[in-house]
Amino acid sequence: MGCEPTGSHTELPSPGRVLCLSWHPSGTHIVAGSIDFFRVIDVASGQTVQRIMVNHHVEKAKRECVVWAIALLSSGTVVSADSFGRVQFWDWELGTLAESHTVSTSAALSLAVSEKEDSIIVGTSTGATYQLQLLPVNLGGQEKRWVRTKPFQFHSHDVRAVAHSPTALISGGLDAQLVIRPLMEKMQKKGYDAVLRKFTFPHRRLVSCARKARLLLFQFSQYLELWRLGSTEETGKDGEVLSLCRMPEHLVQLKSKGPEHIYCSCVSPCGTWIGYSTASRFHLYRVRCDGDGVSLRKVPKVPKLLPPAYQLQFSANSDSLFVASARGSVHVFQLLEPGGCKHLHTLQPPSGCSEAVYLLAPSADGHWLAAVSGDWAIHIYNLKCFKHHCMVPAYNCAVSALAIHPSTNNLVIAYSDQQLLEFSIPEKQYTSWSRAVQSRGLHRAWLERDSPITHITFNPKNPAHILLHDTYLLCVLDKSLPLPDDSTLLMNQSTLKQLPETARKRQLHAFKICKKFQPLLFMDLLDENCLVVVERPIMDFKTQLPLPVQQKKFGT
Amino acid sequence: WDAPRERWAQCGMQRGHLSEGTALGPDCPPGPGPDLVLLTERGRDATLFKISDQKPLGCWSVKHGQILTCPVVCNFETHEYIAVHDDKVLRIWKNEDINLDKAFKATLSADVYRIHSLPQGGPVVLFRGGGVRTLDVLLEAPQQEIENVISGEVIRWSGAFMEGQQPVLIFTTEKDEDFFVYVQKPKLSSLHKYKLEQQESAKPVCFTAHITNQTVTLLCLYSNDSVYQVLIPLQQDTEEEEEEEEILSKSLLLNFSASETVLKGTSLVALDKDHVAVLGSLTAPRKERRECLTIWNTKFHTLQTSKELPLGTSGQLWCYEEKFFLIHGKVLTVIMYKCETSSLAAAVGKLKCSQTPDVSSFVNWNTLEDEELEVSFQSQESVALQAESRMNLRSRRSTVTEQQPETLSIGQLLLNLKDASNYVLETKLRKLMAKAPTPDLQATIGCVVTALTDRCKRNPKYYPQLFLQEIVETRNLSYSLCPDLMAVALDKKDMHLLQICLERFPDIPEEITYACLKAFLGMSESHLQNIDVNLDSVICYIDVEFDNKEVKTEIAENGFGAAMDQDMCGTKIPKQSQPWSDDDSCPVGPQKAALLNAVLHSAYTETFLLPHLKNLPAGQAILFLRYLYYLYVKCSEKVNTTLPGIRSPTINQIMDWMCLLLDAQFTVMVMLPEAKELLSNLHKFVRAQVRFYSELNKIEGSLRELQRLNHLRESHTYSIEVLEII
Repeated sequence: MGCEPTGSHTELPSPGRVLCLSWHPSGTHIVAGSIDFFRVIDVASGQTVQRIMVNHHVEKAKRECVVWAIALLSSGTVVSADSFGRVQFWDWELGTLAESHTVSTSAALSLAVSEKEDSIIVGTSTGATYQLQLLPVNLGGQEKRWVRTKPFQFHSHDVRAVAHSPTALISGGLDAQLVIRPLMEKMQKKGYDAVLRKFTFPHRRLVSCARKARLLLFQFSQYLELWRLGSTEETGKDGEVLSLCRMPEHLVQLKSKGPEHIYCSCVSPCGTWIGYSTASRFHLYRVRCDGDGVSLRKVPKVPKLLPPAYQLQFSANSDSLFVASARGSVHVFQLLEPGGCKHLHTLQPPSGCSEAVYLLAPSADGHWLAAVSGDWAIHIYNLKCFKHHCMVPAYNCAVSALAIHPSTNNLVIAYSDQQLLEFSIPEKQYTSWSRAVQSRGLHRAWLERDSPITHITFNPKNPAHILLHDTYLLCVLDKSLPLPDDSTLLMNQSTLKQLPETARKRQLHAFKICKKFQPLLFMDLLDENCLVVVERPIMDFKTQLPLPVQQKKFGT
Repeated sequence: WDAPRERWAQCGMQRGHLSEGTALGPDCPPGPGPDLVLLTERGRDATLFKISDQKPLGCWSVKHGQILTCPVVCNFETHEYIAVHDDKVLRIWKNEDINLDKAFKATLSADVYRIHSLPQGGPVVLFRGGGVRTLDVLLEAPQQEIENVISGEVIRWSGAFMEGQQPVLIFTTEKDEDFFVYVQKPKLSSLHKYKLEQQESAKPVCFTAHITNQTVTLLCLYSNDSVYQVLIPLQQDTEEEEEEEEILSKSLLLNFSASETVLKGTSLVALDKDHVAVLGSLTAPRKERRECLTIWNTKFHTLQTSKELPLGTSGQLWCYEEKFFLIHGKVLTVIMYKCETSSLAAAVGKLKCSQTPDVSSFVNWNTLEDEELEVSFQSQESVALQAESRMNLRSRRSTVTEQQPETLSIGQLLLNLKDASNYVLETKLRKLMAKAPTPDLQATIGCVVTALTDRCKRNPKYYPQLFLQEIVETRNLSYSLCPDLMAVALDKKDMHLLQICLERFPDIPEEITYACLKAFLGMSESHLQNIDVNLDSVICYIDVEFDNKEVKTEIAENGFGAAMDQDMCGTKIPKQSQPWSDDDSCPVGPQKAALLNAVLHSAYTETFLLPHLKNLPAGQAILFLRYLYYLYVKCSEKVNTTLPGIRSPTINQIMDWMCLLLDAQFTVMVMLPEAKELLSNLHKFVRAQVRFYSELNKIEGSLRELQRLNHLRESHTYSIEVLEII
């Protein structure tokens, strides 16, 4: 936690670390929370215009009071959340306390105000969140007061961040969970949006795979791990565990320097290049495996990038690297033997873009590159001439994964509303299969999943197969089979396995779903009959969490 | 020309509740074709119409100044027409005769109320005084004295029937608010008089009657919107007893007032033993009166169908040979109808599970509306035929000729194909069905299937299995549309077709359902293995014989297995006597299971099914119960107690059938030693489940915690596994 001034004209003259700040909606003032007090700063002059002690009213205040979160409303009211578990409302011009609510016996850590400024969500260190609403004192009366309305307990640890959308309260905690709690009074009908959602894993790729070298690169917050996969010489029946003839090998651990988290990483398909980026810097390494020994060498003089990379992707032949960057741009680096790198080109959408690119998909033949930016536009570039080729028709939903088919150059796109679209890059239009899927509609059970597809890959030996996965299932989508309708069982693999071969045919449909591996972090096809799957058991990191603040345990 | 019609209409109104008597009497066909009707207008004319052509074939009028006083009838034996004018003058003529003045004339000594013509029985003449003579007797001495049976009473309605070889004449009379019923057998000169039980503040508006099993069922439409049924036994006239008049008690059959909507009936006709038609006006608060024709099922007290008549009616309704005749607006409207064999399932009974595709309803009005013909009152006889009406007639005729090949083709085609070769028949029928859907498509397909089944019955070697399957699968048929189909399929042991029928027909009588069940249970497994049946309902849960038992671990989700085992261990059942109970595999093969599932899915009413189920042979009953027990156990294995798959039975269906079977076969089950163990296992299972669920409730909290900890299961950090994706 922390908030450092980033060197604007607003100099903070007095000591006291700033722990949180908030802008006035009009941009004229900033309020900054510190320990025991907060300040209001006039943006134009850079002067502190008010300094308010938050523990002024507490007699014999022995402990210091940390202002963990603060908000400045358009009316001039300052809302502060502090380590005493209080949410306080101040008139900063008069310096008076208007209201004080003790929401928790432990610290109130985070605070978010709805756009209408009539509702506030507060996160506390017990894992509970509270909603405060501005309600009239008398029914139909003019006078309004803040009232603590709904308590929620979805987290076991500190709720470090909260957000207030028009229809939901969103909270993120130290227990590695993101919770979206819809406000039922704002819901018009039952549906996807009206259900409580919990997310444990980020909806982005944390593992990358060097198919040819059979290596896996795992991205942790502060370091990377490179592993060589084990192998077997046996075969067996469904469900059998085969004995290994070679154990998996932990090749190298690459620690990132400094406090910054690793934002993205990638290993090249040949397994000899590793790239990663933190919030401020981009690093490229050369990996050499000589027999048992592994050597790792940093590529010197990597072109400086400002701002940093949002996504890294090597080309299929490992001779170039694509770096997703801000304002819709993609940098193309040429990788040089024995260990060099040069900036070749920067691709940008012709109409410009204010959002950063967050997903990249190069084609296997090195001809095309698809890039998705934060405005959900998908741009396709021709890499032979570094020109913008076309844009996929806009769809009002976030792209969660995309990939280009190696033989047909069809771009398969998975959206966060679980729609799947297939766009032919050469023909610049949706394929007929995609149109057929759209007109028929996907199975309801497919659409009702709450975890988006995070990775798409293909089977080079069977062009009709598309492999997809989300956190709870992996799916082989066979385009040659009929689509299931709502009356049929979507997850029918266990059923099919019980049937004799002859009877299976009638039951087959396009979605071959396996839910054996959960939670599924990554899945890729190494070769025709070898699939690598990475599970991340929730207990693995739950056990690493610190003890929660309060431990009230009954019974057991 | 409008004048007589108006006069007629006035007449009808003045006569009030008089139904089919004097104003107009369509009568049965005199000639060769079945669709002839003889219309008598109050006045001077009687016209013979051909209904399908909507045109008059002949018309006869009495002289100016004379007036027809009762409907002209046709003597079926001699094909002569008999009319009465000026109450007493009898006229008899033949089709060829043109001038009524020259026809046979006989003046009678008393006023005639009505002549009833009965097939085989000859015409019977009812006099105003209640006397009855057959025409033969009357013609021997036209001036013979006719006794007065009734005194001071007025005849309100009369009807004639054949009971054996005897004509029976029934008429009702009214005197001072009292109603009497007379039953006369003219040939035996027997007469019975009954008094109708009085109804407070209501009186009969209309009567209709039919005879079944020596009993006259008289239905009376009362002014309080109800239909009452009066049963009158036809006594054997062995001894003449002059006793005091009997009072007939009546029972309420139908009431037309539902909540605020009331059907004010004006006319009532019995269609068959289960159906009556009522013409009347529907009155609801804040709504306009709407006249409509309704058909009611008296067995189930349901409204079968109704048809609005927006142009208004005269309130009179006649019915001959499955056709209604009524005055709708200014024309006589003929509406054909057909009463299907009624089953409660069709009326109100258990509807099919929502999984089955929507079955379209078979309302006969839809199919027959097109055949509704209008016979206009214009007849060729009219001297003052106006150009306008003539054009009207002509244009109508031209449309009829255009439609004719279309409407006639189905019946004719089927008739023509009666002797065609099998191949020709099937190709023609396919063509017939391939036509664009018309409103009467359902009826057509019903006819097609009937034609096929008829041929199957005639020719035992002929059985178009695939064709029938195709029809049943692709068309929304119902049992009533092709009643013979399932019987033929049963006869031919066509299990697949029966399965499809059970899954698709909404109205299978319980008797047939039972026959299917019995046939399915009786089939040998080896025979069934070679039969193609749809296994959709089975494949998702049945254990196909499999070497590895691993498949099963997945479904023991709620873990009651352990509790069960303990319970079982406590009781000492010798192992060898229960070869099936220790392995809970399915007692029947997948094919048989699929067929039985189809039975479980069909609609039924317990009351009607129970008597049949009692006849199920003991062995089959036990096999069925074992299968139901197996299903029940399977259901219970799932947390949500539903079996996966399409059309798989629901837990409610399983429980219903289990209870039904136990009810029906109770004594057998108690007696048979092999049933004993099954029952005791069943009992234990249910008990164990009850106990298990109550325990579950107690430890709910702990279980939640366990579920959370379940993720702690041993995790291989690295493994290579074989994964088969089909």
